[in-house]
Amino acid sequence: MKNISKLIGASMLLIALSIPQNAISGGHSLKVLGWGAKSGPLKSFGVNSEAALRSAVAEINAAGGVRMGDGSMAPMEVIGYEDSACKKDEAIAILRKTASTTDAIVGMGTTCSGVCQAMFGVLQKKRGDDSDSGVQMPILADTCIRPGLAKISDWSFRNVPNEITMYDELFKWIRTAYPNVKTFTGGSETDQGHSFVTYTAIIAQMAVKHGFQWVGPPVPELGPKVKQGMKELQAAAKSQHWLMGDTNYTVQARKIKKQNADMVIVASHPFSACGFMKEMKRQRVKPKLMVGLTSSASQETLNGCMSAAEGIIIPTGFAPITSEAKKANSIVSKAGGFLDLHSAAAWENAYLIKHAVERTSIMGKPSTLQEDRRKFRNALASITSQKGLIGHLTRDGSTGEASKPYVYVQVVNGKWKVIHDPNS
Amino acid sequence: MDFYLNLINTIGIHTMLGLSAYLLLQTGQLSLAQAGFFAVGSYTAAILTVIFQWNIIPSVLVAMLVSGFLAFLVGFPALRVKGLMLVVATIAFSEFVRMFFYNLKWRVTRNGEEIGPDGTMGFAEIRYFSDNGWSNFEVTLFLWSFVILIMGVIWWSDQSRTGAVLRAVGEDELAASSVGINLTVVKVSAMTAGGFIAGISGGLYAHQVTSLDHHSFTVLLGTFAIAYPILGGLSNVFGTLVAVIFIQGLLVEGLRFLGDWRMILFGLLIVLAMNFKPLGLFDKQTMDLIKKAIRV
Repeated sequence: MKNISKLIGASMLLIALSIPQNAISGGHSLKVLGWGAKSGPLKSFGVNSEAALRSAVAEINAAGGVRMGDGSMAPMEVIGYEDSACKKDEAIAILRKTASTTDAIVGMGTTCSGVCQAMFGVLQKKRGDDSDSGVQMPILADTCIRPGLAKISDWSFRNVPNEITMYDELFKWIRTAYPNVKTFTGGSETDQGHSFVTYTAIIAQMAVKHGFQWVGPPVPELGPKVKQGMKELQAAAKSQHWLMGDTNYTVQARKIKKQNADMVIVASHPFSACGFMKEMKRQRVKPKLMVGLTSSASQETLNGCMSAAEGIIIPTGFAPITSEAKKANSIVSKAGGFLDLHSAAAWENAYLIKHAVERTSIMGKPSTLQEDRRKFRNALASITSQKGLIGHLTRDGSTGEASKPYVYVQVVNGKWKVIHDPNS
Repeated sequence: MDFYLNLINTIGIHTMLGLSAYLLLQTGQLSLAQAGFFAVGSYTAAILTVIFQWNIIPSVLVAMLVSGFLAFLVGFPALRVKGLMLVVATIAFSEFVRMFFYNLKWRVTRNGEEIGPDGTMGFAEIRYFSDNGWSNFEVTLFLWSFVILIMGVIWWSDQSRTGAVLRAVGEDELAASSVGINLTVVKVSAMTAGGFIAGISGGLYAHQVTSLDHHSFTVLLGTFAIAYPILGGLSNVFGTLVAVIFIQGLLVEGLRFLGDWRMILFGLLIVLAMNFKPLGLFDKQTMDLIKKAIRV
């Protein structure tokens, strides 16, 4: 019996110890807590976002910190960056822990769209609705990119690119830049909502919109509008898709080779995108052009399949094209991370927090925590434009979705190279 | 407090899942189908509260019946296979269920918004508890009333002839049938009861996490389901509870900072348990010691 008591006691002690250090303190600082996937196949996303967030906060503090409600300057403090492991239960546990046991003013996470969907569902849907017992905690996400998530709750915010605009403009540009590219096909990872839906609801349609001809399995319903022919495309092209954990892409690559398209779309995260592109190379599939999913415009892709990915074009919300972006890129690299479209958003979010705090009168004291969180949420919601690393970020107040500047990058000689900036 | 209540709720859900496997293990059936029954319960209860706007209690009860009925149907073909073949067959069943929900689209429009299962995008906004103003403490009371009820029934069963019959089948089928025990009835009943419990557990889980998709119901969930009673032991329901507290409270939550190493620890724990406590933490020897200590 003593052993069992010890076991339970040890469990409770460890749980208590797992609460971030300095979680509850009377110190005058602005506290934030982040979380993302720091384990599992998407580990690099969380690791890079943490490095970017901590680096940006260090920069803010070096420049004097954040102006609080009483006029004093206070440092911003990242009281922890937890591993939500791309699992709903774990992200919800961290959210509740952040809301109830820390004096963080905002939660910053998380990586996977499905996890954000669950986490946002735990929040109060409409602010001020007393009949709704959801958690009242502002959440500012940097990575979960699947369309439509921001509207789940008034307390959820995202700084992610708008993929409809990105791919619309990308194919418009490809039409003129690569006039010999006329047909397309592609594949995606069906078990990842973001990849699969972006491919079958947005990317394929935008390609059709700009005159590219689909040469995969017949999908007569496929048209130029978002979601047009989505279900039919999902059903028809199943055999040339894959799963994130797959290690064999022989069948898919062979099918795509037979279709002999000018352009192949690889709508997948780096891990499986690399597997598929390596198999394409092995089977000597040589399309005139490859287009990738925005989440693959990362160092992870170069690390995994630099040679196979040579030539792929991807629209991305980050590239070191401005002095601010170059500086941030260098700082984050020194901190052991890589700045890509997702982690760059974590950097920008730190500045977004500073901006929101300085727009309102936040005291940063334990006694004013709930009021501070409400004020912060309202201030964040009122920001419709903010300077980002490569241009201005805007936010649509009605949908809650952000709109970000973007560029097109291509793997050239084993490195990402900006090949077009639509804003220039 | 909210965080601890959430953790207690998670422990409650996993305890029920573990207990659903406990009954099967008692009859010697090593099944990974619990993840499938859990998924059926989750989606059924969520569809009822979200699309049909039912109250949570009948929704969970219907989820229990649907999962239980499915388990009843699975129970018959499962009689034909044993050991590893049963494991393979039940994994196949769980994957079938997972892929069914992965492809399930049932969208309806309410107040201008589309709701319901949306294939790979999952099933979001299962917000019965917060929409109806339930505090997390009320959710905990509600959820644990099911846990206590189920634990109580199984504990009673363990003390009665029912438990003896289940264990007799688990220990030696030939001997059990030779004394007149109907193996078909016992095994199918255990599978059905396991399905009932997994259905309740899944129904409550759906409303706890507010969003479902196929990622939640992988083979790993089925592995956890059987790991709890194996670690805790099959002589007492409390062993499963302690194993869940240990795995969910300590390994998953308390050691979060270890990242991927947690799963390695989980595997190591199973290996150690198999070597040093092959009959579980609460085996007969430990239970006798506890009883003796209580008497003293």
